[in-house]
Amino acid sequence: MARALWTGSISFGLVNVPVQLFSAVRDVDLHFRQLHEPDGAPIDVRRFCAEEDAEIPYEEIAHGYDLDGEQVIVTDEDLEAVAPRRTRTIDIDAFVDLADVDPIYFDHPYLLGPVGESEGTLRAYQLLVDVLGRTDRAALGRFVMRTREYLVLVRVRDGVLTLTTLLFHDEVRDRKNVGPSGSKKPKKAEVDEAVSLVEALAVDWDPGEYRDRYRERLRDVVKRKKQGKRIKIPKESSAPAPAVDLMAALQKSLAEATKGRGGAPAARSDAADDLEDLSRDELYERAQAAGVEGRSSMTKRQLVKALRG
Amino acid sequence: MPRSIWNGTIAVGLVAVPIKLYSATESKTVSFHEVHAKDGARVEHRRFCSKDDDEVPYEEVVKGFEVAPGEFVVLDKDEIAAAAGERSKVIDVEACVCVDDVDPVFFDKTYYVGPGDEGEAPYRVLHAALDKTGRAALGRFTFHNREYLAAIRPLGGILVLHTVRFADEVVAPDDIEVRRPSTRPGDREVEMAARLVESMHEDFEPSAYEDQHREAVLAMIARKAKGETIEAPEEAPAEDTPDLMAALQASLDAHGGRRRRKKARS
Repeated sequence: MARALWTGSISFGLVNVPVQLFSAVRDVDLHFRQLHEPDGAPIDVRRFCAEEDAEIPYEEIAHGYDLDGEQVIVTDEDLEAVAPRRTRTIDIDAFVDLADVDPIYFDHPYLLGPVGESEGTLRAYQLLVDVLGRTDRAALGRFVMRTREYLVLVRVRDGVLTLTTLLFHDEVRDRKNVGPSGSKKPKKAEVDEAVSLVEALAVDWDPGEYRDRYRERLRDVVKRKKQGKRIKIPKESSAPAPAVDLMAALQKSLAEATKGRGGAPAARSDAADDLEDLSRDELYERAQAAGVEGRSSMTKRQLVKALRG
Repeated sequence: MPRSIWNGTIAVGLVAVPIKLYSATESKTVSFHEVHAKDGARVEHRRFCSKDDDEVPYEEVVKGFEVAPGEFVVLDKDEIAAAAGERSKVIDVEACVCVDDVDPVFFDKTYYVGPGDEGEAPYRVLHAALDKTGRAALGRFTFHNREYLAAIRPLGGILVLHTVRFADEVVAPDDIEVRRPSTRPGDREVEMAARLVESMHEDFEPSAYEDQHREAVLAMIARKAKGETIEAPEEAPAEDTPDLMAALQASLDAHGGRRRRKKARS
């Protein structure tokens, strides 16, 4: 079981529940270490005082803050004194509808478990689970972890309290000038066609369907390198050109998307897999040679499909 | 608008939507740098070889991946970048899923999506179609030599892109041990707790929640700069709740009272 990152209690009204906090995200990345090139030995990072030119232990490190050009030294104790209650308590201030909180505010997810075995604690924890599970509401609260305060949302996922830290409103940037300029409406016929295209691509969300190909490739690169093989560095690929006739592109795409449906999935031969290893530019050259129509606006996936015939 | 951080294309079938990505979030946490408590001098991080105990210049540092305890495979920058695949500038939409089906734990970082050059017309159409269907478009997104799963969905009048966590990165609730009480809370307790929840219910209004702690930390720093000593007020630690019913009743009484007072004032 994971290590608790924070221990305290969650309190709503006069009900207190001792809890501990675990990260809900697991680090599965392949990590690198800095090595000393001549002898391949791992590198240690040591902290030195710039003034004394001597190594210093971790306990002698404090936080420096630049206040109008003047340095103020702040200790962990000073920071803790700012809001001592909140370093130990998640105070629930309100309950809100989960659906009202846009995911843009979500920062990091955690899980909350009860601490100890006292019947009082376990029942109070269970009560919070039961009541939140019944109402589709989430609890909004605050607490302090390390040097900062978090606004948090507590809800239930599979019978366990899940806590998500939220960004404060001023940490979400203004989006006034992001979208298209003016208020021109898209053509209804185009939108209808695009809706059909989106529906044709609709699947149920199943997170297990998606693998981290980056992680797999990195593992593969490390393996090949270990075996002394050469690592092929792929070229940066080009992007398809935007369609001149949007309606025609929508119609063609919809026909493509619905054609693929219902039929048996295409058997993948070794040759087909080879095609997938090529870059878009390489595929484009082959498409040119084969006289594939509309190749300039095709993505890599579409070029592979067209070349397979 | 600040400068875009990525320019590329969302491709839905043969429909190419040129886009620009912008940061959507920024941290406002008060940040510090490390100093030596004794003399206030800057702390430097220096690299040492663990074998010969000598300081190592930056030019002699390479990246190694540990394949077995103590055994490393060295990769150079280009070889690491090779893992990103072809560093595509295209987000090829593979599927569209219901936004509401995606549990928020999967959303990682958020970016704003704006139309790129010649991209306004297809951008508007994609926005309208996703908005009407309540769906997010899923595709692969390569950024800084790393490939991500991305979900693109409408937010108000624009599109946003979330990087999406992979299933094996998310800790399932039953991965942590949660003990259950020997007697579950009774109907009356759940009923009362539900009333407490309702009495404390409000609309989520992001701008109503300020980071008061940020202000308090800055105020503490200002006091410290004047030479004041910072002392923590004494506070009794919170205890658990042996009598759940009594605590719920007292909370309801307190909150009912607060509500009434609020109403009387307005």
